[in-house]
This record gives sequence, structure tokens and C-alpha cells, in this order.
Amino acid sequence: MSKAIPVVWSSAALRWVAAGIVVFNGFFPAVWILFTSLKTETELVQKPITWWPEAATLENYVKAFHDQPLLHYLKNSVIVATGATVLSLLVSAFAAYAIARLNLKHRQLILTCIVASSMFPLVTLLVPIFETMRALSWLNTYAALILPYVVLNLPVCTLVLVSFFQSIPRDLENAAMIDGCTRMGALWRVVVPLAAPGVFTAGILAFVNAWDEFLLALSLNSSPAVRTLPVGISLYQGEFTFPWPIISAALIVAIVPIALLIAAFQERVVGGLTQGGLKG
Amino acid sequence: MIVVYPIGKLVYNSFFDIDKTGAYIGFVHYVDVWQDPQFWNATKNTLLITLITVPGALIAGLALALLANLPFKRKWPVRLSLLLPWALPLSFAGLIFAWFFNTDYGVVNDVFQRVGLIDESVSWLLKPNWAFAAICLTVIWKTSSFMALILLAGLQMIPRSLYEAAEVDGASRWQQFWQITIPMLMPSIIVALIFRTITALQTFDIPYTMTRGGPGESTETLAMLIHKYTIDYSDIGYGSTLAVFMFLISLAVTGFYLHHIGKNAS
Repeated sequence: MSKAIPVVWSSAALRWVAAGIVVFNGFFPAVWILFTSLKTETELVQKPITWWPEAATLENYVKAFHDQPLLHYLKNSVIVATGATVLSLLVSAFAAYAIARLNLKHRQLILTCIVASSMFPLVTLLVPIFETMRALSWLNTYAALILPYVVLNLPVCTLVLVSFFQSIPRDLENAAMIDGCTRMGALWRVVVPLAAPGVFTAGILAFVNAWDEFLLALSLNSSPAVRTLPVGISLYQGEFTFPWPIISAALIVAIVPIALLIAAFQERVVGGLTQGGLKG
Repeated sequence: MIVVYPIGKLVYNSFFDIDKTGAYIGFVHYVDVWQDPQFWNATKNTLLITLITVPGALIAGLALALLANLPFKRKWPVRLSLLLPWALPLSFAGLIFAWFFNTDYGVVNDVFQRVGLIDESVSWLLKPNWAFAAICLTVIWKTSSFMALILLAGLQMIPRSLYEAAEVDGASRWQQFWQITIPMLMPSIIVALIFRTITALQTFDIPYTMTRGGPGESTETLAMLIHKYTIDYSDIGYGSTLAVFMFLISLAVTGFYLHHIGKNAS
């Protein structure tokens, strides 16, 4: 008995400490940036530094939108990420359907190749992609980013969709085809709606990947008209100046949409991540 | 096709003097790369970052996964705290941590001074070794959440009955961890390690946004060097040659993993 009490106490306390550590680790950077974004410039140069913003102000947000076309970057990011997501889903749905349903001879080999292609170092793709886009005069267009992002997303989306498609009974499609649907019709009317959770999961992963990408966005779309958020925000810093409160405000503006998205669909995202086993 | 074409194109490019005359120059770029101190410096930095951050992220991720696997009533706060760093762009992580490590107003210096670890503010990002350490720490923070998510899924697949049986046999918590948790988690660990290693070799965003490769070239990675030659200097021939080397390094690492996993599996 004497042993049971401390064990009970420690397991409850341990859970709180554990949750505290995990939550602190995940949220502290974003929270600190939020605090910074609310501080006035005079408060920011105080020593010792303050933690809680004493006189919270939104002026950094006004400046963030004023000093650079942040709203425009936001729009560009939404267009590029949405375009890449829709196209990725479209293409990977066909690929996944073929792998899951048709009696392909080397199914395992194809799946292995898909996984292997997702390990391909992106940086080595930079040179050929840059050359191709320049040859097509596509530099500084949305398509210059959307197309490579679709290619990058295909392995992930296909793997997630294959596992969802395989979970749908074949009889349902056969019934649809007997009722007069073509194979394509059965795919779009029966399989895709039933696999909607999977399509959704793959879509979020594709969206996050495209929203976050930096190297290609920096290299291919340098003009402000098509600049995406990660590149735009990295440009707030001048040669010798770092307007940290303004950068912080811009970061918060860029983090909020993606944070809301994953907060709303967290279970799906976790499921997709572990099924697709993919990039960090 | 998507994989083969770029590599062919890279190898082809690497034999031409593309930025100036466009002439075929054979192996000149290869000789140049081999004798280029920038290349060796960037390769050294890239391999060091990989060697430090991959095990670092594995250990931190395993710790996070074990903590997150405790039975909580509400799972979403913990789950969201693992998802948020994963969804955060690498470039943002670089910017946020550059602010953390700021000399005058950074929270790192503030905390260290409050606990009495240091007397004066340290210019973390202005000193080569400290800047390198700061970048490694940022990479570990950013990538350990992904590790934790993969490992957490693996942890939840381990049947509880194994632990109950071990309990009956009188195995300690520590023994259970090494004899049940780690072996059962091995497949997840290997998957996470492979993907993390491949992405670590491509490290670009975090050092680019934190230090631009500086001070000097002390934090410049191979990916940054390729970007510099291809985009900033428009020297596509040399950039391609660097990329060929990078591809060979990635291939060697992937081959190493596959070889060892093949051994383990059989």
C-alpha cells in the first residue's frame, strides 16, 4: 500500500510535466514571436528584455503590410499552394487507382520506386528545373512553382491514396460498372467520394509542402509580383537592419492560416503522415 | 523519367562551360570542384550538420514521442504541439531562431544571463562555431517533431500485452524500454532516419535565413553553394558539377542505409 500512493501521485504529475514539456517545445517559438510582434520599438530596445508585451500594439502589423506587399505574398502563396494541391490530387488519384486496382505485375516494385523518387535530393533538381523554366520563359510565373511542387508531392499523395483506395471494396465499383458506368465514371463517382478522407489527407500534406517550400520559390520566382510568403518574409531584413517586430508580425500573419488548417484536421494529418511516411 | 532526366541533364551540363563560351570542356569543372576549398568547406559543413542533427533529432524526437505517448485525457494539445513545428516552414524556423539568438535582445542570452550561465551577451550568430551550433539546434528543434510523430505512431502499435508479460517476468522499466520498446520501434526509427538523413544532406533554408552561410563561409552548406553558383552567378555548368557530387553523396548514403536494412531484414 505504501508503494501505491507515490506511484499514483507521480503518474498524474508526470503526465502534467510531460504535457508541459511537449507543449512548451511546440508552442514557445510561435508564442515568443507573437509577443515580439506586439511590442513597441521602444519596449524592444529595453534592457533587460521584457517577456510579456507591456503596452501591446498592432503597429508592427500595419508596418508589415505597409513595408512590403504582404497581402500580395499571401495571395501568391494561396494560389501556388492551392494550384499545386489540386493538380497533385488529380494526377496522384489516377496513379493510385492504377496501383490499387489494376492487376499490375510489379506493383511492389512500382511502390518502391515511388518511395525512392521521394528521396531524390531537391537541390540537384534545382539546376535542370531552372534551365527548363528559363527555356520555357516560365520564370516568375505561378506555373514555375506549381509544376515542380506537383512533382514533389506525387509520391506522398500517391502513397496515401493507394492505402485508402485499397480499403474500398471492389464490389462497389463492379456494381457501378454493371449499372453502366465506365471505369473512369466508377473512379470519379464511387471510389473518390468514398476515399474522400484520404483525398483530404493527401491534400493537406500537399498544401503544407507547397506552402512551406523555400529553395525553388527563392530561385525561380524572384520578382515581387509572384513572390511567396517564405521568400517575401525573408526579405524584410535589409543589408544591415533586422526589423524584428515587423518580421515577427509578418511571420504571425503567415503562420496563422497553416496553424488553423492543421488544428482543424490534426487527426487526418497525423494519419496521413504515418501512412505516407514522408518528409520532415 | 522525372528522376532520370535531371541527372542526365546535370551530367551533360557539367561538361560544358555554359556561362561564358558554351563550349565542351570535358572534365575541367570536375578538376575545379576537386580543388575548390569552398566545395570541401560546404561538404564538411553539410556532413557535420547531418552527423549532428540526425541523431540529435532522433533522440529529441524519441523523448517527445515517449512523453506524448503517456495517457492524456485530451490528446489534441500534445498532438498539435508536435504538428505545429512540422508544419512551420524551415525558413520561418530559421528566422525565429535567429531572433532567439540575437546578441542584444535575444531570449537565449536573456535566459542564460538570468540563470548566471554567462555574464555578458554572446554574439551567437557572429562567431563561426556558435553560429554552427545555433543552426544545428534549430534544425534539431524543427525536425524532431516529425520524428516524434512517426515514432509515436510506432509506439502505439506495440501491443500492451508485451509489457504486461514483461511485468510478470519482473522486468524493470529500463529493461522493458530496451528489450521491447526499442526493438519494436526499429522499423519506424529506420524510416524516420532515412528520410531525415536525406533531407539533412539538403539543408538550405535554416542556414540561409539565419546566417546566409556566414560568418565567412562557416555555415555554408552544399545546397547553398549550388544555389549560389546556379542562381546568383548563373554558372550553370559549375553548379551542375556541384550537384552531381551532391547526388553521389546522397546516393552513397541511401545505398549505405539500404544495404544495412537489407542485412537486418534477412
